[in-house]
Amino acid sequence: MPGTLVQIESKPPRGDWTDPHVEFRKGSICYSAAPKNLEYLGLPNPRVWQPLDADWKLPPDWKRILLEGMKDRLKKYRSFRLFMEICVRCGACADKCHFYLGSADPKNMPVMRAELMRSVYRRYFTLTGRLFGALAGARELTEDVVKEWFYYFYQCTECRRCSVFCPYGIDTAEITMMGRELLNLIGCNTNWILEPAANCFRMGNHLGIQPHGFKDSIDFAAEEASEITGLKIEVPIQRKGAEVLFVMPSADYFASPHYYTLLGYLMLFHEIGLDYTVSAYASEGGNFGLFSSHEMMKRLNAKIYEEARRLGVKWILGGECGHMWRVLHQYMDTMNGPADFLEVPVSPMTGTVFENTRSTKMVHICEFTADLIHHGRLRLDPSRNDHWNVTYHDSCNPARGMGLLEEPRYILNSVSRHFHEMPENTIREQTFCCGSGAGLGTDENLEMRLRGGFPRANAVKYVKEKYGVNLLTCICAIDKATLPTLLEYWVPGVEVAGVHELLGNALVMTGEKERTADLRGEPFAPARESEALHA
Amino acid sequence: MTDAPIAAPVPGSSLTEAIAERWVSLSMNSWPGAARPFLSEEKDPFRNPIGSTVRRNLHILAREVLGGMQEASVAPALDALVRLHAVQDLSPGDAVRFVFDLRTAIRERAGTVPETMHARIDSLALMAFSQYARCREQIFELRLREIRFRAECATR
Repeated sequence: MPGTLVQIESKPPRGDWTDPHVEFRKGSICYSAAPKNLEYLGLPNPRVWQPLDADWKLPPDWKRILLEGMKDRLKKYRSFRLFMEICVRCGACADKCHFYLGSADPKNMPVMRAELMRSVYRRYFTLTGRLFGALAGARELTEDVVKEWFYYFYQCTECRRCSVFCPYGIDTAEITMMGRELLNLIGCNTNWILEPAANCFRMGNHLGIQPHGFKDSIDFAAEEASEITGLKIEVPIQRKGAEVLFVMPSADYFASPHYYTLLGYLMLFHEIGLDYTVSAYASEGGNFGLFSSHEMMKRLNAKIYEEARRLGVKWILGGECGHMWRVLHQYMDTMNGPADFLEVPVSPMTGTVFENTRSTKMVHICEFTADLIHHGRLRLDPSRNDHWNVTYHDSCNPARGMGLLEEPRYILNSVSRHFHEMPENTIREQTFCCGSGAGLGTDENLEMRLRGGFPRANAVKYVKEKYGVNLLTCICAIDKATLPTLLEYWVPGVEVAGVHELLGNALVMTGEKERTADLRGEPFAPARESEALHA
Repeated sequence: MTDAPIAAPVPGSSLTEAIAERWVSLSMNSWPGAARPFLSEEKDPFRNPIGSTVRRNLHILAREVLGGMQEASVAPALDALVRLHAVQDLSPGDAVRFVFDLRTAIRERAGTVPETMHARIDSLALMAFSQYARCREQIFELRLREIRFRAECATR
């Protein structure tokens, strides 16, 4: 036995990149979608299977379906054809992916992940690939390649950090999106994505909360906000003729710590007397269609404009969500717009015209709140957040997908006195993903999430050790759901909160009762302790 | 844990540093070949969190094993390394085998491995294995907590 131990050799886990063999292992994969969810959404090849099975029960003509699907998309999306052609393998993206940095798996280099698809493209869609095969970097499309695609395209969070560094502007996230679309054509999809999509399609939100459940949750939050402030806070639901439709991620009204952000919104809207409404029909800002196909994204997104039209509102305000904003900012206008029945959003309190939303008619809550603060329309007591040493995680989609970099910081610096940035190459457009976005945030995939989230956690650890940071703020529902687990493993002692939770703490409301605790019920730091804490 | 420092090599000396560097180099074998140049060469701790975590903490451990073996320094350094390995595609044995690479590094750089150091490396290996088990338990606890939360939402 000792002899055997001595002979243990450490070998690199993978050799030649063209070998598509992948070892699926529990803990680092997402489970397959349940047939009922595929059936509900009308998707092909519903069946019982798992990635760990040898036989994936692909349709008999799976290869034809994939190649035709690829051909269609190459024709339809110029960007896709361009991304298949123009990479010069300069390596600028190679060390930018959080999954590569947290796992060192070479196939997680964005260039390599894209190459998994490019090699097939070359084999079937280029002359050199057809003639020279492997010599021209081409690979046959085999079942093993399908499994490899599944493994790696469901291991990319579509965060687009790599694309920031690409001199050609190749958006590897879009290659992942194409990969997932193709896999969906043969029924290779994950339950963590399709169940929320099916629920959302049926009930209007990811968890499938029915309208009366939605009303209960919102009423409960309004009651709690009323108790905290001593004011009568009411939330109008599906009120026709309101000026603004407010759409938030459903996690805000059923998950923690999101719920405290919801309390912050409700208090803000009450204080400024916003004429708004929420809706059970459009009770989900998030869009898991983005993680499966453009058709699914369009189907789910359509509800927002439809409900805005039905209720006759003037414009739409959106809550703290990540990929919701990628969809709204980049695709909604051409997918389900133009929203010519809506008006260009104007803040009723400050008169600011949100020119940047002239087309979509949808304003981010951080833009809205920052504008209120800028015009001195809110009374704020930042000392109420003195028990927090705050840092900010730029959630990938609002940061890179829509360029929302300054507004959250402006709010945080107005509502707290102890804000510390993480290192420059880990924030703003270079922000590191939480490792759980794009439908990867499920428990069965936790080890992969912990790898992918390591670069982010590493930067949080730095500010914790340097400044005593104990709160990581963010504006994404997936971040709020998954970062607490990530931080507990890598940086225990740092909690997670939304920006509007801190706003809710600091907001001095007209006629409010004396407040001694924050929205979580934690007592405010007494002045003397606060000074000592931050000395 | 607080044995007197052994005579040679001297902690902080160039020999200790050489041993630590060799240890870093050997332990890189746990990672895929194509990634090793990047993990070894990129010095920015935020651009290369794995490489910098490995280097920083192996240097701490080398100084401690060759020096005072203070638990206050050993435990966090070992935790940072094992925690990293516990979420990778590594068997439990491979996750802690980097500890034994220190023996090779000392032999290669100092000629021999003093008896005291054998005992310290063995003790470090046992600590690493205990920590590995704790990390794995924590991963399952965290997973369970997420499942429990999901169940609570569904029955609300």
